[in-house]
Amino acid sequence: MEKLQKFSPEKITSDLLPQKFGRRGMIWTGILLFICAIGAFAYIQQLRKGLVVTNMGDYVSWGIYISNFVFFVAISLVGSLITAIFRLANVPWRTPLTRISEMIAVSAITFASLIIIVDMGRPERLFNLFLHGRIQSPIMWDVIVITTYFFLSLFLLYITLLPDIKILIEAKEKLGKPFSKLYRWLASFWKGTGEQEKMRDRSITILCIVIIPVAFCIHTVTSWLFATTYRPGWDSTNFGAYFVSGAFLVGAGGVVVAMYIFRRVYKLEHYITERHFEKMGRILVMLALLYLYFNVNEYLVPAFKMKKSEEEHLTGLFTGEFAPMFWFAIFIGMIIPICILVFPKGRKPNAMFVAGVMVVIGAWFKRYLIVTPTMLHPFLPKYDAPAKYSQYFPSWYEWAIAMGSLAGVLLIITFLARIFPVISIYKTITDHEEEQPS
Amino acid sequence: MKKNNHLKIVFIFLFFCGAGINKAIAQDSVEISPVTLGLRYFLPENKIPYIIVNTKRKVGRKFEPVKNVTVNVYFNAATANNLLGKITTAVNGEGRIAFPPSFKSTWDSLTAFKFVAESVPAKGEEILNTDLTIKKAILVIDTLADAEARTVTAYLKEKTGNEWVAVKEIEMKLGIKRSLGNLTVGEAETYTSDSTGTASAEFKRDSMPGDEKGNLVLVARVEDNDIYGNLVVEKPVPWGIKAKAEENFWHRTLWSTGDRAPIWLLSIAFAIVIGVWGTLIFLLMQLLKMRKIGRIYLKMRA
Repeated sequence: MEKLQKFSPEKITSDLLPQKFGRRGMIWTGILLFICAIGAFAYIQQLRKGLVVTNMGDYVSWGIYISNFVFFVAISLVGSLITAIFRLANVPWRTPLTRISEMIAVSAITFASLIIIVDMGRPERLFNLFLHGRIQSPIMWDVIVITTYFFLSLFLLYITLLPDIKILIEAKEKLGKPFSKLYRWLASFWKGTGEQEKMRDRSITILCIVIIPVAFCIHTVTSWLFATTYRPGWDSTNFGAYFVSGAFLVGAGGVVVAMYIFRRVYKLEHYITERHFEKMGRILVMLALLYLYFNVNEYLVPAFKMKKSEEEHLTGLFTGEFAPMFWFAIFIGMIIPICILVFPKGRKPNAMFVAGVMVVIGAWFKRYLIVTPTMLHPFLPKYDAPAKYSQYFPSWYEWAIAMGSLAGVLLIITFLARIFPVISIYKTITDHEEEQPS
Repeated sequence: MKKNNHLKIVFIFLFFCGAGINKAIAQDSVEISPVTLGLRYFLPENKIPYIIVNTKRKVGRKFEPVKNVTVNVYFNAATANNLLGKITTAVNGEGRIAFPPSFKSTWDSLTAFKFVAESVPAKGEEILNTDLTIKKAILVIDTLADAEARTVTAYLKEKTGNEWVAVKEIEMKLGIKRSLGNLTVGEAETYTSDSTGTASAEFKRDSMPGDEKGNLVLVARVEDNDIYGNLVVEKPVPWGIKAKAEENFWHRTLWSTGDRAPIWLLSIAFAIVIGVWGTLIFLLMQLLKMRKIGRIYLKMRA
């Protein structure tokens, strides 16, 4: 950070301009494209043959697709945490993290919308939802709020990018042709006049104020898809807060992982410093403790009562067929990251990266555990159902599509990072100038 | 003391091992009897009879249905000409064969008849067979209502020669058809026919809800009788209370159709949507203004 103060604006611009893919970048993109292609192939097969290619059935009608949907919605919440909350709270060290979190938010919410369509047996009938939808249904609320959040996130990313795109247009010679038309189409009007700056600044503040309640709504409404259904494990008044806290945790974990990777790959050690990891580490441990607290509430109270109708579901999680996954999610997603992050040494980049990866992986399994075991244990007894209905393991089509969607999120982030700066050049220079002794 | 504790643990362990072995042996020794084949005769509304074939076996102390057994059912004798039909038993161990129209003339000419059932065995299985002899009978239901009482009467008659003769001392059930079963008309569960073949019961369910017109359906049944099989007749009577359906279908509720959403919900939803999207549109307008400012700036510089 001290070194950064000695950097000239030209040096900062040069460091933060988007970089061409190297060999590793090409391999990474190739792998992601390959996984996406397999996912697309599996989805075409699913479209042709119907949802019968999945292992979903009468009882588990929501499987890995909905788990993935909840995961994407959760991780998309980070855009509002880092950009909006930090901006409104005037957190001074937020600049290197905002663009990364906005990119994660846009890509995650895009695939959250897509994976819902994948879960539909007849996607060509989607328009019926808009023609004959019932506003009384939480599914309709979710459609509205996801669409709204998608546009808000996209707008937030775009409007914060405007001054940077001007810099990119000006650096045409250095960057080459590939995206110059795109840059001009996006922001050739941006001249950085005082009036434009004022309007942009006001727009960002308004967006930040609006996006926070919408972000809370998106995950609360997603939790209500479950909580308004009378089933063991979902019949909770606590679900909204439980989901929002979990979303903040996985979002922050995702940002930490992305920070670490971009820092290493783009050599941004002077911009994303240990101080940023230290601060994010403190936030992450606080969010992990909060989510752990909600988990204790969600499981301890029903386990203490152990109602007959919920017994099978709960024992399945604690000691039964889902126990290894349940304890894995609790330990990997919360307890071990907390143990790492409470110590100052644990908040160093390498340790933070490990903790971040753990949080994200644990969070994915946690979403799977929220959806599937409950579907397998309905309150009404299963009558005259084939034995296979009592078990669920995703088919290869489901795995391919789910992995394809995860790769798709990473691919969008990769492309965004290739086209736009992952750290705001304009804001970094402005912050740098403000910090300079006059 | 420590040694004693160890002994206790060993003893408890052996006890549970013993209990486990005992349970396992007990499970192994559950007796499974051979599959049995059964026939039941049904005549609803004195019209077209049908036969229910059932296959079961005794496992331990209880009977369990046996599925996927194919059975041929014959009328009077097990010959190809007399084949009523072929049926494979379902999950509940039962299959149903309706009486074909081609047997009508034979059916009309007889006063008693025999049904013969024979299984079509799979490889290595034995043929199962059974038969059922039934005497032709009809059941009639009638009602009598005056100012003081309402009576339900059922008559059972068997065919003897060309005449229908009353049958005495046969148990019947007189009931009212409800959604999940039949409710008895009076206090007794069953009634026995007298020398005129009649069984009567006073109708005591005065405040029974009926359909929209106040109709109840009375049911008379002879159940699993060795001679006559199962006979059922029904009769609607206007003795119930008219059911008045609650007219809440068109109300605005959380469970009604989309165009009938509650006003409060619509107000909240639209207020939020208009508020947020209004802001988004305002921000887009700001963006357009920024574009305009940019163009003016360019023109001025040019």
